[in-house]
Amino acid sequence: MPETLEVDVLVVGGGPAGLSAALRLAQLGKGAGGRPLTVAVLEKAREAGAHMLSGAVLDPSSLRDLVPDYEAKGAPLSTPVREDRVYVLTLSGKCRFPLTPPPLKNHGHYIISLNRFVKWLAGLVEAEGVDLFTGFTGAELLMEGETVVGVRTGPRGIDKQGERKATFEPGVDIHAKVTILADGVRGNLTKVLLRRLRLGAGRQPPLFALGIKELWAVPPDRLAAGTVVHTMGYPLGLDQFGGGFIYAMPDGEISLGFVVGLDYKDPMFDPHAAFNRFKRHPLVEELLAGGRLVRYGAKALPEGGWATIPRCYADGVLIVGDAAGFMNSMRLKGIHLAMRSGMLAAETAYEAVRDGVFTAARLQAFEQRINDGPIKRELYPVRNVHQAFGRGLFAGLAYAGFALLTGGWWPRQMRSAPGHERMEKLGGRAGLVTGGQSTDLANPDRKMTFDKVTNVHYSGTRHDEDQPTHLLVQTDVCHTICAEEYGNPCQRFCPANVYEMVVEAAASRLQINASNCVHCKTCDIMDPYQVITWVTPEGGGGPRYDGM
Amino acid sequence: MILVVAEQRDGTLNRATWETIAAAQQLASGGAGSSDRSIAIAVLGSNTVAAANELAAAAAVDVRQVLAVDHAALEFYTPDAYTAALDQVVAEVGPSLLLLPHTYQTRDFAPKLAARLGRALVTDVIRVKTAGSDTLFVRPMFQGKLTADVVPQGPTPHLVTIQIGAFRADQVAKGASPAPVRAIRVTLDVATIREKPEPPFREAKQAVDLSQAERIVAVGRGIKAQEHLPVAEKLAAALGAELAASRPICDSGWLPMERQVGSSGQTVAPKLYLALGISGAIQHLVGMKGARTIVAINKDPDAPIFEVADYGIVGDLFEIAPAIVEALK
Repeated sequence: MPETLEVDVLVVGGGPAGLSAALRLAQLGKGAGGRPLTVAVLEKAREAGAHMLSGAVLDPSSLRDLVPDYEAKGAPLSTPVREDRVYVLTLSGKCRFPLTPPPLKNHGHYIISLNRFVKWLAGLVEAEGVDLFTGFTGAELLMEGETVVGVRTGPRGIDKQGERKATFEPGVDIHAKVTILADGVRGNLTKVLLRRLRLGAGRQPPLFALGIKELWAVPPDRLAAGTVVHTMGYPLGLDQFGGGFIYAMPDGEISLGFVVGLDYKDPMFDPHAAFNRFKRHPLVEELLAGGRLVRYGAKALPEGGWATIPRCYADGVLIVGDAAGFMNSMRLKGIHLAMRSGMLAAETAYEAVRDGVFTAARLQAFEQRINDGPIKRELYPVRNVHQAFGRGLFAGLAYAGFALLTGGWWPRQMRSAPGHERMEKLGGRAGLVTGGQSTDLANPDRKMTFDKVTNVHYSGTRHDEDQPTHLLVQTDVCHTICAEEYGNPCQRFCPANVYEMVVEAAASRLQINASNCVHCKTCDIMDPYQVITWVTPEGGGGPRYDGM
Repeated sequence: MILVVAEQRDGTLNRATWETIAAAQQLASGGAGSSDRSIAIAVLGSNTVAAANELAAAAAVDVRQVLAVDHAALEFYTPDAYTAALDQVVAEVGPSLLLLPHTYQTRDFAPKLAARLGRALVTDVIRVKTAGSDTLFVRPMFQGKLTADVVPQGPTPHLVTIQIGAFRADQVAKGASPAPVRAIRVTLDVATIREKPEPPFREAKQAVDLSQAERIVAVGRGIKAQEHLPVAEKLAAALGAELAASRPICDSGWLPMERQVGSSGQTVAPKLYLALGISGAIQHLVGMKGARTIVAINKDPDAPIFEVADYGIVGDLFEIAPAIVEALK
């Protein structure tokens, strides 16, 4: 029998949502006097913040409520946004929007490194006496009937064949009165819970995008610190959702990235190649010339918005942050919503523990708090925007403008299909989108653009090689129907070269380079047959996103 | 009574045994609880005279007796024999606490013994404390991120294992006179011992230490199939070099993982590094770029390996490697 640990509240995931929940719980316990709650946070990264990846521009509204004296406490918000620019790109040209669309105005916001921000937040959380278990994964939900009673952490020291090594250590059962799932976009535990309790019933299917980001050091006079650039158009087709971002920090530190909707139609499309094309566009090339790549990373993000957020409560459990989809895809922001959802979940969990009632009926207060507060106020009016972009760039822009004018009025909820279902089979129109573009610009030049394997090196990703693969794939479809129908798109949508079809003798076989995995979750989302399941690797493995 | 289970191999006691005796002395002198806090030490084996006498002569404070548990079936450790023997020893001497060193051997049988006795087991204890009439055993959790104070419940004897290094062997307090040695007879039915141990052996030291190699021939994906490995092996033999590989080769199980060079394998700096069919992903380069002379053979003229190579041959390794072997002859 595994060892057990009893806590009042267990938070799975030490990102902005999970840590905000933990901090709020500690504050509430202290404010009320009496016995403080025991709170534990599980984080799969070796150290706090190591798996954090975002643009990022922070709307400090939630932070102001959570840590009012954040400046005195040394929050790493060194770069206020000074200028916003929005461009539409063509192959070699650019056209600047004369006015910055209101949702993309970032006055009063900060360009941050989410890695540094979360490290700072983790310090506050630990100072409040919360146990932050870094390097421990939430491998399994512990359930009694339909009630979540805790989480089993992943074991360590298991070799490739599933045998115990000398370093074997079994998982621990952490029993909690309330479990807060903050396991991020496509969280492995949230995914299981949503299916088991059908928490997404009656909602629109979730929609995702993949963000690929690099951190660069360039000569300091290239772009003034505080400049925020967003782009649309090239290298994406008109029917693709996505765009580029460039955020300038002091001392020539540039954060640049590219986001593509994980609902593209062309199975031959490669998000990493699109990112490379974006970097070779004159707008970006001039900026990066003579600079140096510092870090690389990739992460999926929930783009579906309000209509896709599942029921976020059940017996003994709450779901917060990206795991639930609290992101505003029109403003390209989610950190403040993740934090707010964590704070509201903490308030709900605190009352539940105080009253000794952990049922879904009691935890429904979380939904009430979301509906009555700033989260719904922000997300409801833009609930159709991403779905409108599903009809193409122009339809999306037109609707986005309309929604701004009308405050989001529309006769009904627009519908959408899960992104992976939109992928078209080879032989149809596939290949047309990228077919018209020169491949030279997607091929890495090893100075400004890189191949995936080199990029993975810059993500600092490490996993013990001698462990079972954490990507469970039903490989019998790979060389048969998938090769024929979609040309094995996993090789392209994975931004870390995890999936490779290796030709051996006559047959080809899927090789899974699991130790390359940057934990972005794209494969779990985008596989057209949905036969890839991302489970937790040994705790402590994964990327190391210093400064990202 | 606290019963310490000593651990010996070929008559030699290990340091963990003395550390466990130190822990027992601290418990005996702590005065917590009302039970008798004298210490007995049991040593199991097929000929334990020497070890028992060594324990007795050490004259550790509070040690009232040393129990020599001899049986032919205890010559080599087996969990079944140890469990059965200790079950009988416990029944005979009736300790209130069983202390064991937290060694691999103890980890193997202690859970089984606790289950057979139906008693609580506290493992990997690093400190003992008293609180009122309770003895608290402190043990790490979550890889030492937390420590838990544990009070075993239920009938005695409780079983407690002591982490290696948590107590100091040189702090075992000496008493005035040696303790008496008492032989305890146990009856073991050899037929019930399911494990048939071979004599213990030490695994040969890792056969390859690539970091010390002067010459290395490394193969990559260009070798295409496991059956082609002899091409590289012959070249390595001709050069007097060690064979190494890039990740995909070891990942496929064609060569053992200890022969992997790169960021998730070994870092090497030989005088000569000959790369056969290795494209030169940065993950591989970081493991070998310290080599004095790098020779690369690859079909792809754009392979990044040529950027670090001192000598590069663009061509088919299956033609070139045998030609080099021939030339070396």
